[in-house]
Amino acid sequence: MKVIVDTEKCQGHARCWSLAPELFHLDEGGYIEPGDIIVPAGQEQIASRAVRACPELALKLAEG
Amino acid sequence: MPPSKAVPADIPPECIGGFNLYKSPEMLPTPFGDPFAAVARLHDGPPVFYSPETTRDGQGAWIVVKAEDQRKILQDGASFSSYRRIFSSAIGEDWPVIPLELDPPEHGKYRSLLNPLLSPARMAAMEPFVTAKATELIEGLKARGTDCEVMTEFAFPLAVSVFLNFLGLPDDRLMEFVGWANELLHMGPVERTAAAHKVLDFLDGLIAERRREPTDDFVSFLVTAKLEGRNLTDQEVRSIAVLLFIGGLDTVATAIGLDLYYLACNPDRQQELRDHPDLMPGAVEEMLRAFPSVTPIRTATRDMELQGCPIRKGDLVSCPSMTSSRDPDEFPDPNRIDFAREDNRHVAFSYGPHRCLGSHLARRELIIALDQWFARIPPFRIKPGTAPITFGGFVFGVENLVLDWS
Repeated sequence: MKVIVDTEKCQGHARCWSLAPELFHLDEGGYIEPGDIIVPAGQEQIASRAVRACPELALKLAEG
Repeated sequence: MPPSKAVPADIPPECIGGFNLYKSPEMLPTPFGDPFAAVARLHDGPPVFYSPETTRDGQGAWIVVKAEDQRKILQDGASFSSYRRIFSSAIGEDWPVIPLELDPPEHGKYRSLLNPLLSPARMAAMEPFVTAKATELIEGLKARGTDCEVMTEFAFPLAVSVFLNFLGLPDDRLMEFVGWANELLHMGPVERTAAAHKVLDFLDGLIAERRREPTDDFVSFLVTAKLEGRNLTDQEVRSIAVLLFIGGLDTVATAIGLDLYYLACNPDRQQELRDHPDLMPGAVEEMLRAFPSVTPIRTATRDMELQGCPIRKGDLVSCPSMTSSRDPDEFPDPNRIDFAREDNRHVAFSYGPHRCLGSHLARRELIIALDQWFARIPPFRIKPGTAPITFGGFVFGVENLVLDWS
């Protein structure tokens, strides 16, 4: 599983980071770092929760 | 509602709604009111409607009810401008509060400058101060007795104190600033103008002082910051400082008040938080969803149609956070307050590039305020014989919130 990140849509709510700081990394301003995120085995549930917590709908789940 | 002279001729009568953010009965000051439940009922009606005289200065606006529509509008700064000069108009001037009233791409330059100062990581450094202040205030209340008026004795002093600390100022003028914020945000035009002058005189003095002798505080950062290779002008610095002044004072205090009002009226929810203190961060998010206080307003920059309504260039478009937060298509069972709610992508801090700059500080303040309150105050209730007063408007809130823990 991976998380596809739309950095254009990220507005720095940091809801993903607050749920899973080890998966979602923020830049100095508090916005998500660019690049898709590979979700390690066992962390699918928290990754999925973080995706659904984004007010901007900037994150999507995908296979792979 | 019959057309009135307040409605422009090109608004189709069938698009005019009966609800008004200031004047509808539930929006007026109401003892033991629930203005959020009243606004939630808008989901039973049209998704977009025109509300005459629904802004603070009596203008009409389109009210957008659904979360999905609000998200599109607030993410689209090209079609919906933020420029309204809400502060400068009070003193007969014409300049934007920065970055609140700027549009992309201009907006982004200032946000990039300011974001690191208010990032989640940076705000962690404020935690010891917020905790110490909350503790001091609550212990002071306990030493005085077994009741207090939450807004004046806890919520405002805490929020303003944190703001002053962020600006690098001592607490000694705290209650004066609380008064200014109240006059600016909740009183009539005469008080608003007088308060705006007081705020500007104060900030101008502070800016001049920090220009002469910079320290390590926020205003010193502003007067020494480089934007595209140049220093900020005095006007830019005051326009940013004004935003902090407005944004930092009222809304956090309001959220503390609304949360404690809900919890005071619902002893079972208090018990839940006492039994499971680890629920607090989620509870704060859920109460931000259920009781958000602010209504972002935009100006359409072109003609368009939205949910069948003809929106004209120049029309005001109002996106109350209270309606999107109670949208059943966004939040299952939206009127149920669930401290363990998942998928809580609430909009208390708005959507889009204008996402509240202070959101990470606000969140920490709220969690710390409630954590400390619950750790130090036994089960509490509305003091018998008193009645909290809720109100709607530009910033929803509660006053005369007297809690008793005898």
